[in-house]
Amino acid sequence: MKINKARKYVVDNLKYALNPSSIAVVGASRYPNKVGYKVIDGLKKWGYKGTIYPVNPRADNVYGLKAYKTVKDIPGEVDLVFIAVPAHLVKMVLEHSVEKKVKIVVIATSAFKEIGRGELQNKLTQYCRDHELPLIGPNLVGMGSPYLNFNCGFIPYLPVKGPVAMISQSGANLLAALGTSQMSHLGMSFFVGLGNKADVDFSEFIAYGGQDPNTKCLALYFEGLDSPDALISACQSVVPKKPVVVIKVGGSKIGVKAAFAHTASENEGLNDAYFDEIFAKAGAIRATTWQEFLDISLALGMQPPLKSDRVVMITNGGGSGLLSCDHFERSGMPMHELKEISVGLSGKIQAYMPMFGSPLNPVDIAGTASPVHYKGAFMQAFCDPNVDGVYGSICPTAVTDVEAVVDYAIEIYDKYKHLGKPFVMECQGGQECHDAIMKLRDHGIPAYPTPEQAVNAIVALRKYAKIKANFSK
Amino acid sequence: MTKEKEKTEPTPTYLLGSDEQQKWMQKYFFAPRGIAFAEPGIVALDNPKMSALNITKSSYQIRPEVFNLNWLSEATKVKKEELKKRLLRLYDEHLIILVLNGSVQVEGFGLYYWIVKLREGTSPKIKKEFGDWYQNKDEICSSWETEGDFDFFNGNHMRVLDNLIWNVIMPLGQRPEVEYVHLCPIRRDIREDWLNMPDAPGGMYRQYSWGEEEEKNLLKCQDKLDATDIKIIKAINQKRPMKDYFDFKVLAEISGLDPKDMEEGIKDLIESKRIVVPLIYMNWQKMGLTHKMYLIKLSQIIPSWRKAEIADELAAIPEFNLVLEFTDSFYDIAVRACNQTTNVEKLLEKIQSYTEVETVKQSNMVKQYRRWVDRLDDHNGFWEESIFTDDFLQDYTVRKEEK
Repeated sequence: MKINKARKYVVDNLKYALNPSSIAVVGASRYPNKVGYKVIDGLKKWGYKGTIYPVNPRADNVYGLKAYKTVKDIPGEVDLVFIAVPAHLVKMVLEHSVEKKVKIVVIATSAFKEIGRGELQNKLTQYCRDHELPLIGPNLVGMGSPYLNFNCGFIPYLPVKGPVAMISQSGANLLAALGTSQMSHLGMSFFVGLGNKADVDFSEFIAYGGQDPNTKCLALYFEGLDSPDALISACQSVVPKKPVVVIKVGGSKIGVKAAFAHTASENEGLNDAYFDEIFAKAGAIRATTWQEFLDISLALGMQPPLKSDRVVMITNGGGSGLLSCDHFERSGMPMHELKEISVGLSGKIQAYMPMFGSPLNPVDIAGTASPVHYKGAFMQAFCDPNVDGVYGSICPTAVTDVEAVVDYAIEIYDKYKHLGKPFVMECQGGQECHDAIMKLRDHGIPAYPTPEQAVNAIVALRKYAKIKANFSK
Repeated sequence: MTKEKEKTEPTPTYLLGSDEQQKWMQKYFFAPRGIAFAEPGIVALDNPKMSALNITKSSYQIRPEVFNLNWLSEATKVKKEELKKRLLRLYDEHLIILVLNGSVQVEGFGLYYWIVKLREGTSPKIKKEFGDWYQNKDEICSSWETEGDFDFFNGNHMRVLDNLIWNVIMPLGQRPEVEYVHLCPIRRDIREDWLNMPDAPGGMYRQYSWGEEEEKNLLKCQDKLDATDIKIIKAINQKRPMKDYFDFKVLAEISGLDPKDMEEGIKDLIESKRIVVPLIYMNWQKMGLTHKMYLIKLSQIIPSWRKAEIADELAAIPEFNLVLEFTDSFYDIAVRACNQTTNVEKLLEKIQSYTEVETVKQSNMVKQYRRWVDRLDDHNGFWEESIFTDDFLQDYTVRKEEK
């Protein structure tokens, strides 16, 4: 339901959704394959230290914990109520939660507006609003944070720690992002599924993420947007400090219908230009594909904004250099020749390449480049005051010691990161390249397996610099 | 009519509960076998039409006023507050469960029962091992331990008979302690726990009937239920319109759903389509009761119409609290009566008075593991854990290691 701006009582209470000292799991089950069991299992397995109260009127114990018939019967205070019972019981649970004065409720249950029960969903939402009880969901998968060892929902794993707050309407895509986090070291600060987002809105999680010390970038997956004004105002407050990346789906002819059936998102009659305008006003960076969404979120979370388009690319592969410079141009940010960026730089870098290398830009230090060549070239690029960003690329030839290059890249980055110049890497190849990417990411350097992904990341860093400048005025 | 014209005639359509339904259903309401939910008129168990029953099943443990207490109070002359108190106590003491008997055959399942006979001299320890397996096997939705001519009587719904055989029958059936396993596929589910089911003849469907002396005898032989408790249970199970069964205002208050929609939906499903039957199950184990089960084999020359008639005639005896008619089995009919509240010998005499009866196997039901997908084992902490299984698109005959 629509809001005009992020509500203070909601933003203040969101901490209870991600760091509650007590949780009531309504619909807690004794059966390991049921959702209500998995919620408690996830909490326990990932190290939640607070108090868990299973609620199940049929059971005396669940997961070895005393079970209660209703939320009202719980003796202690309850911060968060996680609801995993059928839709027809949710109203009663909300009433009990209000009576119990809980801080926030999360409804995992489906079968509300998305199946035509919009009126019921709105009634329940209004009830919660009347009692200032923030409601997340319904129809969601859960939430959590690796920093707090908190995994609440039916989510198989936590992401690795990192800078990106992932806020998604889709549970499946949220899980996909968490899986990517595990596999590809895309670090997250917290994650939350919003589902139908009946009450708690994107804008409120943006405001929360703005205050969260572990969050450096907010990544938002939209299927629909009920409250554009609230989004714009929340983003405008946050973007001077932290970038916001968005992806909006459900724009195709059949996607409009699919988005409604999935999370009751209403897109009828709204074209893409409408959303472009809103996101531009908000100062959010819009990604088109899921991969781009993840890639640029990672870069924006890890690296400072790119002050200008004076980026130097150091590569041992001419091909990746060409793919990169073409994609930069397609993306509206053509590369500059080295001599245009800095008069003496070309000569300095040439000291670290064979005679058949190319000091243009991309700087091709050739397939025979040793780790020392990379080190020298990176160092020259970082130290040149006219260079605002460094882009490294490794192509694993038979003589390339990928691991050693990566170690030097990390060393140089650590040494010069105080200069505030973004550093992005690309490593195109097999297992050694995958390992290199993981290692670089673990050290705060966004690294990618293709030139286009790396270029998208750099372009996003430049876009954010412009947004930051604009909204800081 | 020419052959060409015949070909262009549209296929007749029908819905369960409509005037167009098959003529034979008007007498016996033989459930048509649907393919999942493609049978015309069928709805899934979580369909909004099922809301009244689903809300009740999920909340009667804390809100007994989901039942129409005005009607119940009038029928039992017990005040509403007292009714609530008693229903909560009966549940908390694990003496009752609200069971939803689904017409699984209409929803595309076969409904199969089977008896298991262990070899003479099998130790109680081994029998317990079998019992524990049956208790924990989720694909078995109704299950009893017995003493007498056979040792277990179990039942389940499966879409594919092979799946039942490979997943449930064979794992224990091949053990050396087993003398035999006899399958008893259901032709008609006529009565369960005193309540007449969709396949009951004529107007008997949903009638809850006890023998004349049963109530009196029940009061004498146990101390868990008093006369008022029994009156309440009998009243809840009594056949009546849905508006008198549920309190739709309370259901709306709990759920926020429209009371009229809920009433119309459940009326259609229970009264007209016979897709599901609600039943308050009495936990007879807790009350120290046992049942005598008679498994009747008719002479093989008896035609099926006569077999159906005999089943109907036995169903007319209210002391039989379970009446099942089988097909494609060694056995034709199963009936059951309570040892403590009825004269089971006299009932046996009645069965044996039929010249069509060839043999009768007898066993005492001493323990029940599950009652239509609800687990009853409170000692294991699983009281009323509902486990509905479905082998849709499953092939249990392929062993994992061989894939």
